[in-house]
Order: sequence, then structure tokens, then C-alpha cells
Amino acid sequence: MLRLSSSSSRRLLNAASSVVRTVESRGFATTGARRADITLTVDGKEVTVPQGSALIQACEAAGASIPRFCYHDRLAIAGNCRMCLVEVQRSPKPVASCAMPAMPGSVVFTNTPLVHEAREGVMEFLLANHPLDCPICDQGGECDLQDQSMRYGSDRTRFHEIAGKRAVEDKNLGPLVKTSMNRCIQCTRCVRFANEVAGVEDLGTSGRGNDMQIGMYVEKTLASELSGNIVDLCPVGALTSKPYAFHARPWELKKTESVDVLDAVGSNIRVDSRGVQVMRVQPRVNDDVNEEWISDKTRYAYDGLRFQRLTVPLIRQGDRFVSATWEDALNAVAQGLQASGAKGDEIKAVAGALADTESLVALKDFINRLGSDNLTTDQPRGDEPPVHGVDIRSNYLFNSTIPALDKADAILLVGTNPRHEAAVLNSRIRRNWLNTQMEVGLIGEQIDAIYRYDHIGTDLKAVDQFVAGKGAFAEKFKAAKNPLIIVGSAVAEHADGAAVFKALSTFVQKNKDRLLTPEWNGFSVLQREASRTAAYDIGFVPSTKSKGVKAKFVYLLNADNITPDSIPENAFVVYQGHHGDAGAELADVCLPGAAYTEKGSTWVNTEGRAQHGRAAVPPPGASREDWKIIRAVSEVAGVTLPYDSILTLRDRMWEIAPSTVKYDETEPTTLDISAAGLASMAGLSAGKASGVPFRKPITNFYQTDPISRASVTMAQCTRSFVDQANIADDAKLAAAQTA
Amino acid sequence: MLRTVALAGRATRSLPRATRSLASQAAPAQPQPPAEPKTEGSVATTFGEKSDVPAAVEPQHVVTADVVSGAPKQLRHRVVRIYKPTPTTMQSGGSRNPGWRIDWDTAVGGGRWENPLMGWASSADYMQGTRMSFSTKEDAMRFADKQGWDYYVQAEGVQRIPPKNYAENYVYKPNTLRIARTK
Repeated sequence: MLRLSSSSSRRLLNAASSVVRTVESRGFATTGARRADITLTVDGKEVTVPQGSALIQACEAAGASIPRFCYHDRLAIAGNCRMCLVEVQRSPKPVASCAMPAMPGSVVFTNTPLVHEAREGVMEFLLANHPLDCPICDQGGECDLQDQSMRYGSDRTRFHEIAGKRAVEDKNLGPLVKTSMNRCIQCTRCVRFANEVAGVEDLGTSGRGNDMQIGMYVEKTLASELSGNIVDLCPVGALTSKPYAFHARPWELKKTESVDVLDAVGSNIRVDSRGVQVMRVQPRVNDDVNEEWISDKTRYAYDGLRFQRLTVPLIRQGDRFVSATWEDALNAVAQGLQASGAKGDEIKAVAGALADTESLVALKDFINRLGSDNLTTDQPRGDEPPVHGVDIRSNYLFNSTIPALDKADAILLVGTNPRHEAAVLNSRIRRNWLNTQMEVGLIGEQIDAIYRYDHIGTDLKAVDQFVAGKGAFAEKFKAAKNPLIIVGSAVAEHADGAAVFKALSTFVQKNKDRLLTPEWNGFSVLQREASRTAAYDIGFVPSTKSKGVKAKFVYLLNADNITPDSIPENAFVVYQGHHGDAGAELADVCLPGAAYTEKGSTWVNTEGRAQHGRAAVPPPGASREDWKIIRAVSEVAGVTLPYDSILTLRDRMWEIAPSTVKYDETEPTTLDISAAGLASMAGLSAGKASGVPFRKPITNFYQTDPISRASVTMAQCTRSFVDQANIADDAKLAAAQTA
Repeated sequence: MLRTVALAGRATRSLPRATRSLASQAAPAQPQPPAEPKTEGSVATTFGEKSDVPAAVEPQHVVTADVVSGAPKQLRHRVVRIYKPTPTTMQSGGSRNPGWRIDWDTAVGGGRWENPLMGWASSADYMQGTRMSFSTKEDAMRFADKQGWDYYVQAEGVQRIPPKNYAENYVYKPNTLRIARTK
């Protein structure tokens, strides 16, 4: 505190007090006072931050790096690790900068002997009970404790306790998160994440002081779709990834920035690979999409990429597949097409959930060149034109965009369970629900949500009731300034789908002043499959006349959610995809394609945001990039597609749907066009109401596509979280295996 | 991106001595435009931030390196990506985050395969292990210009962290309690 006497600090103090005065006088103003900016000095550097910021944020803004364990940008502040101590002028003690609000005019020092000593002391306490097992710890190389003890810790120990270090029993959190509770430093990041973001309020602390423990109190698994994120959050090796345990060190991995395709959110991911294998999948920070969370399926389904792969072309002979060369397989396809005698709409294409945009465009061009419009998807009712139509984008996009979920003050969910269809997006709904007075209503099957909701009903009647303004939630919805209707993709597959879209779009039209304004588009459709938006964007939908035509030649592109009876007897079936799953079983010829980690391709998420997925590892065996396969098939079929490189193919995409190549941006639909889209849906002819309740389309979150169905980790998750297998048995089994 | 190719020719003329002996080899390589089409829909132009590409890269300051570097000319047919890798979510410290980076997308054909003898990963792609770090985006762009590489700049992600306050844990919220803030 001697520093106070220097002339420069005095000048700063004077400046600071004048800032205090201005802020005080502004305190009486009626507007703008809450988010006013304040100015303070950090290490002699003036910095301006919004009022209400934590001191640690001000220090970061000034470029001073503050060590921390418990503070995390996206979680509530706990203030219990004390690592972020800084010196504030005229404060008798060092202060924890995360728990201290930044005050105007305060003078902060982050690099003084007092601070060094304080941090060294904190580090000594933390290390007193931390085991010295860094060489066998999976966090090694990316451990905050390791790095910070090198930088801020003491170079020798004073720890000579006869009783040794604290020992804590490990917890069994299920098949994803491995615990090693001896290493825990009680930062409580996992507790706060589970409570706030994941919405599974199971984790907590018990005991205090040296005996404090993180746990569930009763033994159970952490049943959340986002549980894998606590592995990232853990600053030490107490929570590590079970499937990745002892597999690799971070510095060995090649990191490829890519996009997830296992749901329609399009979470940004980083694929970490070694050699030809994907070793793990990590989230990539993108505040417009997934912030820094990803779902467990995204994170842990990667081991499915190693199993059940199609690596060579296969031709069916009798009741078995025989491997073949590409030449033979392509010729077999051409001959099959000819021999089937398929003409016009008898040639049918079925696109699945994991088909990338490039291959969808190529397949559409190919099938159209063969004279057919029979382009279907593998969802229920995928062989009819979708009820919402695809002429206007706003009829099937998540128009409000994902970041705007934080602004909504009433959300109506229709026939959807966002927890399973878009787990990361769902956490945003919860955050808004926690931080504001936002209300959620649900029409459809009851769900195990991570927020409370008003259940309005399960079928079309409830929609009509809501539209008529009857019921408690309809009243709340009327009062909302930014109301939002989220219609699930399963509604379009429902018998009453047309009636629902008709009713809701009429409702939006009537309440245009709140639901459709230049600032707010309150009608959103939540897709659940990664390829669906792109398919609609490029017009990969059947025409009205192709419906009901009995196909003689069927081309399955990654179509694995089809039922065998949807394929006519004696039809010639080609399957192109990467896994030997439901689709390949039905095929006469299998053409091995590349999975999403093995090709550079375009994916359009539910908001209509085109993103570029990159190849991290090469496709296995003889498999090829999907668009190239279709290009080759088109050549042997005699209708050669005019593109030879991915760039010319993207030019073609630009011609069809420019939004599919405008990467990393969402293109909002203009008001007039949205209104036209609503008008087209309001004019739908809704038949007689079937009264069938809306069902959740996803019953098992962990196994929805060929990759996750092939994954051992996802099978284990199904066992513990869906089948609720007794975890005590699993623990015994695991003990028996290690013994 | 066409600019790069045009530059190569111009800059070479200003280096008569250095290029004289190489003229016969270098000349055919230079004017070849890369195979990528230059329509607006191609990836090279639509990616990332068009408006954000600064005009700071003055063409006359770029000295072509590829005429003397001996780098295989196939390199000019590959688009490089200039991007800022996102910080890891595993750690909170910022010092490991490199600045801007140039790297090459994994080649699908000869990218990597498992060596049948040793089980290691073999590759026919000489750029698969290469990446370069630069402190600024402009440095990376200048370097790519100099080498005559086509590039695209991927926009940097923006993090929106709201002001945070310890007192928020204790703020009264009306109506039914939605979360018991605990730890």
C-alpha cells in the first residue's frame, strides 16, 4: 500500500474519484444507468467495462491473465477456489476478483509480491491434498492445476503429514464420466453446470473443510444429455472421459475443426484424431450455435465410426453380400437400373439423416436427369411432399435463430422434445427460464424437461384450444412481448400435421404485431436431422404425382431409418452409406461412402446456417466421398453429371440454393416472404382430425442414427440411462473385469 | 484470389537476377490459374468475411517466393485456410491459444492410411502435418500471397459473455422458485 504515495497513483485516484462522482450523479437517471460503463485501472492501464461486471472480467479486458479454478465464464460465480486473488488499492486484504464487482475508479494490481504470495499460498493448500499422479492422469497436458502450479506455485513442499493425503471414494456417474475424486479441488464447476445448464439437480457438496466431497449423496448416475461437458469444465483430472481413458495425450492429436451431424443443431466441434482414428470429439466455441457445450451423443458416438463400417463395395448374391471392385459395383448398379425397367417416377431416391448437402444435390440432379421427381426422405411420410411446403424457407426453419432463445418470454413447444431432439438448444431454454420469468407450454406427449412447463394437451384439440386463446398458458402467451412457437419436425410427419400448421400459422397471422416483426420472428420449426434443412433448401422432396408410384429402382443415400416394407418387392435397391445398418441390409448393391469426419462437406442446421464440416481422417478401405460416388454412378448410368470437382459442385449448389454455400451465416427471411409462407400454410386443407396424440419422435436419445447405433459407448449409455440398469451391478461387473 | 496469380508474374519481373536461371522452369508454372473457378459461389470466395479482408496487403510489397522456393506447383492448386483456432474448452488459460493459423484440409485420397507393415499412419500428402502460426491475420494473408497460395479467411468467432456478478446468486426472483442456487 506504499504505492499510494506516488504521484502517478494520486493522479489516478483523482481521476477515479471524478468517475465515481459522475456515476453517482447518473444513479438518479431513469434510463441507461444499469448498463452504464465504468472505468477502472488494472496494472496501470485504464479499462472500461459494463457496470455489473466482475473484477476478473475487468482484469481480462485489460489483458491481465488471472489464474482461476472455480470461475467459469458460462456458469454462476462461486468464489471458492481463491486462486484469482488480486490486490485492490485501499483494500486491507487481497480480494477474490471473481466475487468482487468491478467498481469505478478502483485501482487493481494483478502482479505484485502480495498477489504472488497469496496465489502461492492458495496453490499450496490445493496441492496439499492433490495426489501426485500426473503421469497416469488423463488430464495431463491440459490440466489447469498442472499449469498454474508451474507458474504460480511454490517450488518446494512443506507437506509432511503422517496421515498422508485425503482420500475420497470415487463416484460412479455412468459410462461417460470417469471420476477420480482424490484429485478433486472442490471448484464446484460440475455442480453448477449440472444445476444450471444441464438441469439435473443431482450433484452437490456434502461435508466441509477437509472433508468436503462432491457427489450425489445417494448413489446414482448423472442422467443428462450434456453430462460430458463436466469433463471439459473440470480444471483437474477428477472428472475425465471414460471412453477416452488412457487412449491419448492431447499433444499427440491432430485437431480438425468441424461440425456435428448427429442432430440438427450443427454444434461446432473439434475432431481430435491420431493416425487414421478419431480419438475424441471436443466442442468448439461458437456463441451463435452451441456456446461451448455439446451433447453426449455428439461427444461420445465417435467410436461408432470404427464399427460396422462398409469398407468395400458389396453386391448381393442370393442371401449374402460378396465384396466387389468399384467397377463391378458401379456396373451392377447400371445393369440393375436397366434390368428393373424403371421409368420416370419409378426411380426413387431416399435420403437419410446423415447425407451431406453436396451428395444431396448430386443425387437430386442424377435422379432428375433420369426423368424422376421421386426424391424422398427416410422419415415417416417422407414419400409425400411435406405439409409445410419447401418453397418458402421460413416454413421449415428455426426462424427465431438459436441465440434469440434468450430473448423469448413465452415459448410454446408443439410435438417436440427439445431435450432429445436438440439437447444443446434445450439448455438455452433452461437458462432463459432460470434468468427471466419466461413461461413454457407444451402440446404433445409429456416430456422429462429441464424446466417446468404448462401441459396444454396432447393432440390437435389442444392446438385449437390454444389458438382460440383458451387456457392459462394462452393468456400468458398473449401477454408476452417476444412469444415463440417451436414446432417439432415430427408434427409434419403426423396425420394432423397439416391442421396444426394451418392453425398455428393463422394464429401467427392474427398476432403479427408480436410474432412477426422486423425484430422478431416467433414461428420456428425445430428439425431433428442434420440433413433435413438442406434437403428442403435444395428441393429434395417428392412431387405430388410421384406419391404412391411403385418404385422399381430405389437409391438409398444414408437412409437407415426406413422400414423394409416401404421398399416394393422386386425393386432393385442401391445403398450408399458408411455403416452396415438397416439400409444396407435391404440393398442389392452397397456403395461405401465416407462418414462426416472423413469428408469435407456442407451441413445446414435447423436455423438454415450453412457450416463446413472438415475431413479429419481418411475414409476407411475403398470408401469414397459421397458426391463422387453419385458422380460415378451417373456416368455408368449414361447421364453424366456436369461437375468434376467439389468447387464446381458448390457452384451448382449456389445456383440452386445460395444459402447453402454462404457459410457460417443465417439468412433471415424477409417479413413479406415469411408472411407469404404463413399464408400458404394457412390455406392448407386440413382433413378430418385424427385425434392421435403427438408422440416424441426420439425414444432413445443415445441411438438415433447408424453411427450411434454402432457405438459401444452409446449402447452403454442406453443401458444405464434409458434402460436404467442397476449401476451397482455395473460397478461390480467393472470391478470383476479389472480384477 | 486471382490477385495472387497476377502478382506472381509482376513481382518476378522485378527480380531479374534471381529468376534468370529459373526462368525456364518457373515460366510455365506461373500463369497457370488454379483449377478453382472464380464465380461467386465457389468456396474460396464465399467463405468467411469478404468485407473483412483488409486492403492493407499492397500488391507491390509482395515478393513472390514460390518461383525460388522449389515448392511443388501442385501446392498452388490447394486452397489454404486462414483461421484462428478456437480456444480449448479443457483449460481456462489463454497462453496456449495460437494466433492465426494456416493449414491444409486433409486430402481425401492420399491423406493417411495405416501402414500394413508397422500399423503406423502413412501419407502421400506432404502438407498433412504442416501448419503455420502467425500473430495476425494480415501476416498470414501476406505469407499466403507471397507463396502464391489461394486462401480463404475464416471469420473469427465472437464470444458474448455477459457481465457477471456474484450478487446474482442472491437476487430475489418473484413467483415460484425455479432454482435453488447451491453448490
